[in-house]
Amino acid sequence: MSGRVLVVDDEVEMQRALRAGLQYHEFDVRAVGSGEEAVREAAAWRPDVVLLDLGLPGMDGFATLRALRPATRAAVIVVSVMPGEKDKVRALDAGADDYVVKPFGTEELVARIRAVLRRQANLTSGEPIVRSGDLEIDLARRLVSVKGQAVHLTPTEYELLRYLALHAGKPISHTTLLRQVWGDYAVGDKYNTRYVVAQIRKKLGDDPANPRYIVNEPGVGYRLEA
Amino acid sequence: MTLRRFAPYAVAVGGAIAVTVAIGLVTAVASVSGLSAFYLLLVLWLGARWGRGPAVAGSVAAFLLYDFFFVPPLGTFSVRGPAELLELVVLLAVALVTSQLAASQRRAQSVAEALARDSRSLYELATAMLRTQEVTSALSLVADRVRRLESVARFAVVGVASGQAVQLAGSALTPDELKQALWSYENGKSVGAVIKDGVVVPMRTHGDHDVAAYLPLTSGVVVVAVGARDADDAERRMLAALIGLADLLLERRRATVEAERARGLEASDRLKAAILSSLSHELKSPLASLRAGLTALAAPQAGLQPDQRELLSDLDRQASRLDHMVGDLLALSRLEAGLETEKEAHSFADLVGGSVGQLRGRLQGHDVTVRIPDDLPPVEVDEVQVGRVIGNLLENAIEWASAGGAIEIGALVIDDHFEAWVENEGPAIAVADLEHVFDTFWTTRSSGSGLGLAIARRVVEAHGGTIRAENRRRGPRFTFTLPLARVPMSR
Repeated sequence: MSGRVLVVDDEVEMQRALRAGLQYHEFDVRAVGSGEEAVREAAAWRPDVVLLDLGLPGMDGFATLRALRPATRAAVIVVSVMPGEKDKVRALDAGADDYVVKPFGTEELVARIRAVLRRQANLTSGEPIVRSGDLEIDLARRLVSVKGQAVHLTPTEYELLRYLALHAGKPISHTTLLRQVWGDYAVGDKYNTRYVVAQIRKKLGDDPANPRYIVNEPGVGYRLEA
Repeated sequence: MTLRRFAPYAVAVGGAIAVTVAIGLVTAVASVSGLSAFYLLLVLWLGARWGRGPAVAGSVAAFLLYDFFFVPPLGTFSVRGPAELLELVVLLAVALVTSQLAASQRRAQSVAEALARDSRSLYELATAMLRTQEVTSALSLVADRVRRLESVARFAVVGVASGQAVQLAGSALTPDELKQALWSYENGKSVGAVIKDGVVVPMRTHGDHDVAAYLPLTSGVVVVAVGARDADDAERRMLAALIGLADLLLERRRATVEAERARGLEASDRLKAAILSSLSHELKSPLASLRAGLTALAAPQAGLQPDQRELLSDLDRQASRLDHMVGDLLALSRLEAGLETEKEAHSFADLVGGSVGQLRGRLQGHDVTVRIPDDLPPVEVDEVQVGRVIGNLLENAIEWASAGGAIEIGALVIDDHFEAWVENEGPAIAVADLEHVFDTFWTTRSSGSGLGLAIARRVVEAHGGTIRAENRRRGPRFTFTLPLARVPMSR
């Protein structure tokens, strides 16, 4: 699998290293040094993935992320040096598909890029069945099963799992889960999502201390292992 | 001057003559008794209007005229019988009593007017003070007002903050006087004068204008030289009131200074956080380029020889180690800077799940057992920080476990007391080292930073818990305690 990757980083060394590393893995790479250029290039070149560094001079990473969203349907992977959990949540809620903490190795980055590309392909294919190991979620028929055994979930539990399944592999913040599952007027706190996730895990036979399906993203939220 | 002084007496005598003429006119027409009461009216009016002197003069003149013209034998001043004598006494008594009443009323009125004047000027001063942003200029207004008091020779306001006396307003003080002011403040003792019942009372018996008195206030001292010979209650009261205002202003100054200091501290905390975050960026950015470049070249497609690729991956491991150490150092300095923890109720199994997930790759090849009871009550912790504790202890276990050795993570609650542990199969820790393993930079391996366990200890202690190391049958075990959540999570 290959694709177009737009690298947005103000450091020339980083641009050069990423361009080389990603090209060795058969990606088509372009690199720019500012948010403004990123928005222009994203509209003109139509990349599949944008690697966006949050610490940009001028128009900062978050502003660029907001500007990118109407301009492109590319997956955005946010890249940052020691981001706080709040930054990660903010980036995810602003439309980022994933985040990678700097410094990282090329292999790790390539794995993340492939994961978001695969997710995008699944989304566009309209494939109604999401799989995570032995877990199968049939979105069309609203059926959940583990190793072929049907699992009965309450409507709330199903909604939460469905949202994670729709974005399988992507970390979803507590805030997003609350809004998606309980609606805009969700009075709840993170406690609600934790409680429901604990219930789902119990029904799926998943061990919270060593989860196979729903994974904790400390300080951020949850992710369904793709 | 003399004319004005004698005018009331002239009016008194003139009035008595006029009343006599009026009585004469009335008696000429008809015989009416008790007309002498008209004199009483006159005396009353005189007493109320001018006081005792003119009233007495009026009553004597009235008696003489009455006696001469209306009391038989007419045309003489002779007093016959007790009736006339009584009449004279009544007139005199009325004159004295009414004039006394009028005089005391007038005095009360003039005191009330003085008080009203004082409070008006204090009010104006207070309003001006409140409008003045600068406390020192407001204090100068007070000092200016004090200078208008005739009995005050000198007046100065001294502020005291952190053991330093600073003159803020009023007449200049000598260094010795400043020293004396500081002494008075620090010992809470008035020197030379006291404020008693809202009045400044000089303690010296002889009035010496140039010797200053020191009055300690809540956050400063007032230095004032009052002449004892100019003793005037109204001025003393005014002075005490003005000193009260100065006290309020000094208090306001202290509050402002403290607020500024607090802002300064807050700013320095923000600065610390900003330096840490900028430092992390400065240190990690070059490492990021380094690792991205090294790992790019390690791809088979780069066309390097296997031994060259091996060299690159060695270099990348070193860069990773450096990155890890920088991260640990920054985490440690953040903990030392006392950055906030966000404590919430968490299931401990979830926290373990997060850390295990992050270390999944490195845990492969080890037999990992998790012993956490299903009904374990939640803990009240900062998710990210305690996740780091579990992660650091797991990394330590991976580091020290024998090849393929078992690693166990467990937790339990005994008597409302939460305890968790991470244990690995492997060599025991030397007994002498057990108490040092949590020390910052303490390590027995050249590859260790000596920070992971130190960070674990700081985090656990920041949660009010304890952490200890011990040797079990299989190998070393690290045990730590955490606070239980007050609200149970199950519903």
